[in-house]
Amino acid sequence: MAESTAGAPEPIARLIEAFHKLPGIGPKSAQRLAYHILRTSEQDAVALATAIQDVKQRIVLCSVCMNITESDPCALCGDARRDPTIICVVEQPLDILAVERTGAFRGRYHVLHGVLNPMDGIGPEDLRVRELLSRVQSGEVKEVIMATNSSLEGEATSMYVQRLLSPLGVRVTRLARGLPTGADLEYTDDVTLSRALEGRQDF
Amino acid sequence: MPDRPRVYKTEGVILRRRNVGEADSIFTVYSDDLGKFDAVARGVRKARSRMRGHLEPLTRSRLLIARGRSLDVFTQAETVTPYRALREDFERSAAALYCAELVDRFAAEHAPHDGLFALLIEAFDALQEGMAMHLTRAFELQLLGMMGYELQLDGCALCGAKLPEEDTLLSPMAGGLVCRRCRGMAGAGRIVSVRAMKVLRYGRSVDLASFAAIRVDEALGHELQAALADCIRYVLEREPNLPRYIDEIRRVTGEHGTDAHAVPYNHQ
Repeated sequence: MAESTAGAPEPIARLIEAFHKLPGIGPKSAQRLAYHILRTSEQDAVALATAIQDVKQRIVLCSVCMNITESDPCALCGDARRDPTIICVVEQPLDILAVERTGAFRGRYHVLHGVLNPMDGIGPEDLRVRELLSRVQSGEVKEVIMATNSSLEGEATSMYVQRLLSPLGVRVTRLARGLPTGADLEYTDDVTLSRALEGRQDF
Repeated sequence: MPDRPRVYKTEGVILRRRNVGEADSIFTVYSDDLGKFDAVARGVRKARSRMRGHLEPLTRSRLLIARGRSLDVFTQAETVTPYRALREDFERSAAALYCAELVDRFAAEHAPHDGLFALLIEAFDALQEGMAMHLTRAFELQLLGMMGYELQLDGCALCGAKLPEEDTLLSPMAGGLVCRRCRGMAGAGRIVSVRAMKVLRYGRSVDLASFAAIRVDEALGHELQAALADCIRYVLEREPNLPRYIDEIRRVTGEHGTDAHAVPYNHQ
């Protein structure tokens, strides 16, 4: 990194270093971004700086569902019209947006912030599983929908949560697996296709 | 290198996935002819990707791969064996992932080991068919053997003396069982029972299905697991990740399933 900051004045060198820490930004891109900031208006630069600061200072995890939020509890948990007896469990905050876009779900959410990935040593203690367990233990919840990705890791996570929650007598379901819209049958893998067959429905 | 073909074909088991960028993943594959290698699948995380599902970890797939500048790129993938039970049964998926992790950690890149692919497939097949999960012990024993760390179990690993039928020290440093006289030189180890010694000897060369058929109660299962974990840790110089995960599953699952009384599982 010393190479890309050599000769640059100290504030610029610091900015280059900061950009370089971002994912996918190499030394050259970091230089280019830093010099771009130098050329932009003060207003834009300050807006960027405060936006970054606000994200760190004002965004918190909702103490109920672990979603990222500005107010605690988050808007979804605070919405009295949403059904508190049914929880949809997702991997990431962005997955909530995906489910919300469908408009087909009117319950509450829970964000795990990751999936079990035993190969990389990511275990249950790295996820927000305990929080889900205590939510369910509180007694109000009747159904938990596992909406993790249909990958090996996502399914392992679902199975883990199911095992964890089943002694509590709550109904644990998971999203149906089958063909995505627009999929080619020819290229569909065997597991997906056999699940699609098992889950076939009358017209 | 103008004479190297730009694409090549192989058949392998997907060991693991790492997500990179927006929708790409890098997969680590072990194949019989090429050994362990990494390649990237572009756009594979999108719902409409044609390779999605054919590149899930623990799947055996036929692959067409193009040489890239730094990383090779998957261009086609087709499932040979989906091993669905390994994905849908919690304990089995963990056992299979453990086998995959060991292959990943032991195998060097682009260095195929004779018999290793067959051993991994044998383990997956046996787990898929619902055989008792202590077969992973035989997998560990045979993997160690293939990698050149075969445990000396017939005589003392240090002096070669015949071993009496009694509790004996298994020393990872000595690479096997050690007689009483040599114990001082063998370093740390674990005392194993006579029945564990017998099972270890049996597991070195027998097919995994026969090994799975022997009766292993809970105490013996734990003993074998701990003894082999010592040896694996010694050779790898680190702890594999899966055992901790498997312990956690056992803790949560409680009575639902253990190595000792595996329920038959015939689910294709």
